[in-house]
Amino acid sequence: MLSAALPTSTAFVREHLRAPLTLAMLIAIPVFFVLVFASVLGEFSEALGGTLASQSATAISAGWATAFLCGALAFFQVSSSRGADRRLAAAGLGPLRVALSRIFAALAIGLTVSAVAFATLWLRSGVEHPLHAFAAIFAFAATYTGIGAVVGAFVKGQLEGSLLVVLVFSVDAFSDPQMTSNGLIAQTPTGEAANLLVAAGGGQGSPGGDWAGAGLIALAALAVALAAFWSSARMRA
Amino acid sequence: MAQETLAPTTLASGGRVAVLTAEGVEKSFHRGIWPLRRKVEVLRGASLEVRAGELVGLVGENGSGKSTLIQVVVGLLGSDGGSVKRPERIGYCPQQPMLWEKLTVAEHFQLYGRAYGMDDEELAAAEANLLDELQFARYRGYRIEELSGGTRQKLNLAISLMHEPALLLLDEPYSGFDWETYLRFWEMAQRRRDAGMGILIVSHLLAERERLDRMYELCEGRICAC
Repeated sequence: MLSAALPTSTAFVREHLRAPLTLAMLIAIPVFFVLVFASVLGEFSEALGGTLASQSATAISAGWATAFLCGALAFFQVSSSRGADRRLAAAGLGPLRVALSRIFAALAIGLTVSAVAFATLWLRSGVEHPLHAFAAIFAFAATYTGIGAVVGAFVKGQLEGSLLVVLVFSVDAFSDPQMTSNGLIAQTPTGEAANLLVAAGGGQGSPGGDWAGAGLIALAALAVALAAFWSSARMRA
Repeated sequence: MAQETLAPTTLASGGRVAVLTAEGVEKSFHRGIWPLRRKVEVLRGASLEVRAGELVGLVGENGSGKSTLIQVVVGLLGSDGGSVKRPERIGYCPQQPMLWEKLTVAEHFQLYGRAYGMDDEELAAAEANLLDELQFARYRGYRIEELSGGTRQKLNLAISLMHEPALLLLDEPYSGFDWETYLRFWEMAQRRRDAGMGILIVSHLLAERERLDRMYELCEGRICAC
């Protein structure tokens, strides 16, 4: 199963590497979020009644840059290749192998995006707990891979789907308890990952509850992504 | 829907092995969102048969259900009723090329070669043969986004042929072909038919009747003439 999926996944990764604008965005978006967006994020949070300090804002912006990119890339992995993936599955590879190939490609992209965001954060402000910070950033990547893939599986239109991914991202980012005082949404998809990233960036340890929460959400999101890739590659009812 | 792998000894009425038997295939789609959701019936009991060594046409007006029937046979679409018996090893050339824009022609051959279970030697031979036969070897290293519509269609067709399937399903496979390629396509189809392949070609051109052994016409989801 894996021996068939791995060569296919490298082909799927090459699809992304051959899009020059996508490659430029892999650098530009983390740089923009960490260097530019983060500097106003603390003030923005204060205006909304939140408690996000400047150092924390810099750290969390690396996670959001990763989330934004991974959500968009996972959505377009499903949306732009639906027909070709289904044909390949019907040709004999099967929907599960196609889905595994897609999830491996998404993980490779997620790790790359996380590494770029982490490096930008490191260069901008230094990171007290680098491993913790990288794990937290990757949790953002995994969570949004699931969100992007599931939107791609259910929303056929590329405009509508990308708008939906941006809406989920906006609600998640701007409803975080550290961003607002009213707590409109108690549990956001990246709430625990954000806590971990803020703590790691500021040199503080994180409680086990946050690690367990972020890990569970990331694993569940990857399982959802696998199901979404499988659903897109199988026979339509 | 019942979809079975066909036993190779199944004999059709003409004495040849039937490589495709579709009986009473029904398919409808739901369009719109509730409460304006409506049901569109596309196939209402379509039946057809293709035997080994036969070149069969499937014609019909736009929207008559030709592509839907082919997709049900391929397994891309589930059906609401009826049954399909076909070999496990089939080739399918869709009306619109379903390809990855950023991958090259050679990478498409590799991906499909693996999906068909071909080894490296078989894959290399099939690729070289089809690139030569359809005369697009110089585009081997090109990405799909760099190809003309006609060359994309050549790859689309080549992918369906590379494993020499027992049953070949072609959904308007020559759209975008120039006249010479169009004629070469029919020569290729006839050679494979003579070698024992069962071929079903979807078309809306009745003028192609003379090139076919038999023809089915689909009207409002049913076979109305054959």
